Amino acid sequence: MSWLHDLNFFAKLALAFAVMTAAWLAPGWQAGIAFALICVLLLWLLRVPGVAGYTKGAALLTAMVMASWLLNLTLQGLPLSQALPVAAAMAARLVATTAAFYFVMETSTPGAILAASSAARLPSLVTLVLSLTFGVIPMLRADFERIADAQRARGMEIDDVGLPSRLRFALARGVPLLVQAIRMAHAISFSLSLYGYDLAQKRTTWRQVGLMVEPRLKIKDQADAK
Amino acid sequence: MLDIDNLTLGFGGAPVLCEARLTLLRGQRLLVCGAAGSGKTSLLSVAAGLIPRLVAVPELSGNATLDGQPLGSVARQALFRRIGFIGQNLEDQLWDLCVEDVIAFPLENRGIARSEIRARLERLITGFGLSALSGRRVLTLSGGERRMVAVAAALAAGPDFLVMDEPTTGLDPAARRRLCHILDQAAQEVPTLLIADQDAVSLLPVIDSLALLQGGKLSTPQPPADCLENHAIWEEAGLLPPMRRRRLAPASAIGRPLLAVSGLVTRLARAGGDPVLKDVTFDIRAGEVVALIGRNGAGKTTLFKAMLGLTKAAGGTIALDGAAADRWTVAARARKLAYIPQNMRHILFNMSVIGEVIFAITASTARSADPAIVEKARAALARYDLGSLEEANPFALSVRQQGLLGLACADAAGALVAIIDEPLLARDLHGRAMLERFIAAMRDTGRAVMLISHDLELVDDLASRLMLLDQGRIAYDGPLAEGWRSPAFTALSWPAPYADMPEEAA
Repeated sequence: MSWLHDLNFFAKLALAFAVMTAAWLAPGWQAGIAFALICVLLLWLLRVPGVAGYTKGAALLTAMVMASWLLNLTLQGLPLSQALPVAAAMAARLVATTAAFYFVMETSTPGAILAASSAARLPSLVTLVLSLTFGVIPMLRADFERIADAQRARGMEIDDVGLPSRLRFALARGVPLLVQAIRMAHAISFSLSLYGYDLAQKRTTWRQVGLMVEPRLKIKDQADAK
Repeated sequence: MLDIDNLTLGFGGAPVLCEARLTLLRGQRLLVCGAAGSGKTSLLSVAAGLIPRLVAVPELSGNATLDGQPLGSVARQALFRRIGFIGQNLEDQLWDLCVEDVIAFPLENRGIARSEIRARLERLITGFGLSALSGRRVLTLSGGERRMVAVAAALAAGPDFLVMDEPTTGLDPAARRRLCHILDQAAQEVPTLLIADQDAVSLLPVIDSLALLQGGKLSTPQPPADCLENHAIWEEAGLLPPMRRRRLAPASAIGRPLLAVSGLVTRLARAGGDPVLKDVTFDIRAGEVVALIGRNGAGKTTLFKAMLGLTKAAGGTIALDGAAADRWTVAARARKLAYIPQNMRHILFNMSVIGEVIFAITASTARSADPAIVEKARAALARYDLGSLEEANPFALSVRQQGLLGLACADAAGALVAIIDEPLLARDLHGRAMLERFIAAMRDTGRAVMLISHDLELVDDLASRLMLLDQGRIAYDGPLAEGWRSPAFTALSWPAPYADMPEEAA
């Protein structure tokens, strides 16, 4: 089912909004939880990159949403038996929504977004904003992991330690990540100038774009490989 | 075509370029050689219109014109349509696009029809031998592969001339030959070249003139044949003479095994499902300098990542200093194996130069109240000429200084084996001296070095043993002289280093 990764970015976006709407309209907390679980299961079945990390994040999100809503409702005088379904329904809606947009973000490369936007003849500025908005988060996540690997490769023990130390080390990656984000912004800006990205000019694309976006060029003669 | 006159350029201290002149005629193919820090990149950045348009510098004076028109008055789109630029550090001009996107990007930006872009894309991908990389995200490629993609992107736009900064960086000898062939083939469409590189010999087939940059000034361009054999002018410019004689590496005592890899198989697989490393077995002993060579994309990077545990192994064992290390964390292995990548930015994350060295020593913090640790860090920085930069931000250092910082960190960390990946700083006299100092320090203290490089002369000069990685296996492991004659090396069709050159004692 990984061919679904090549769905047109706008089709994915529409799908994500539909999932979000369905999650918020789910009748009752049981249906909401079932829907959220299906969404997370689909991420696994679709082999979305980084799904294990997402699942951990979703679990953390669920715990935080549940805790804050339970506290809030209990302080307002609602008994726990009534507060629990409300908190669970709210957490389920957020998990389903984040799962849908996680799929969009992780399976849409900046190139595929550029192609879909260019084929839709969107203004260059909109094309650029969409590509960077959805493309930059996986890039930053990759950089975050690269910095962690660099710390490990330089002898910093960040795996065989307790959770508080892990969190502290993760926070310590913030400064180098910021430096890297600035470098990345510079590289993108430099590349746009160098390769003639013009906000006044509508772009074209090499890809075939329809409901699906062509992921790679099929070359007639493959004999040149190596 | 391009005329630079009286160019003075500086970054706050002494000017890097001082009243430099450069004239590039239409059809001319000029190679500029100079030591690291001599101003090659600055000169090329002015020639390509990057300075001052995209990169501001504190000190800049002089004139630069393109066909008589001041570069500053040419509209940005028109300028970069006429000039193709490939920088030394490709991460500064590439982002997370796939191979086809990068090559097609300039054409798409001009609104060229899809059929035309696809035809040109197919021609370039086939011509550059990049079909196997089709659809891959460019930031996941090896350094050499990225460089070929960047050159293809520059040619795709059909510029009037190409400006290339260190284009041979990261390319194996076959890829360098392919690059020359491609530039030769493209000569009809892009006849004019301005290249800065330290490898004059590899680029001989595509250049017709050569100039040396020294003391902020560019020498008068000469036919390459007139200056290649003149050792004095190269040494005066701080460079290793390209036609130097073979120098036999001094022998040293070999001690106990420090690293032993046996039957290593990686989970990481190629597109066809084959593991990148299938059955890798070797050891490295105290006092050795083991060179690892192999084609671009052969799996050299995967090998050291697997040794460190950054890439999961599907089979095999690894022992460090006689102890089984298979279950060790990456950090525990890294305290025995120091890694110095080609691009040091990948492993820098502290905010000061001395902080990086202190972190290398402590493996936990960039600050230390222990005077012995601080003193050790300072001594390491002084050993590699970085003493005056201890409070500088590591990201603000030049590529060469970052390379030296890598040596200082590995030396101070006391790791048993240092893995040096394509040490670009070793391409000039000062950088080579620093690398030799590092290797001597490692050997003298009973440690070892693994040198990964495509620079076969460097390998021949410094290594005591050769390993060749091919088809996921160590295809040759043994003495250098036999290695250059081995079937495994012959199969690469690479020229052996110092072919036809006599030897001299070290």
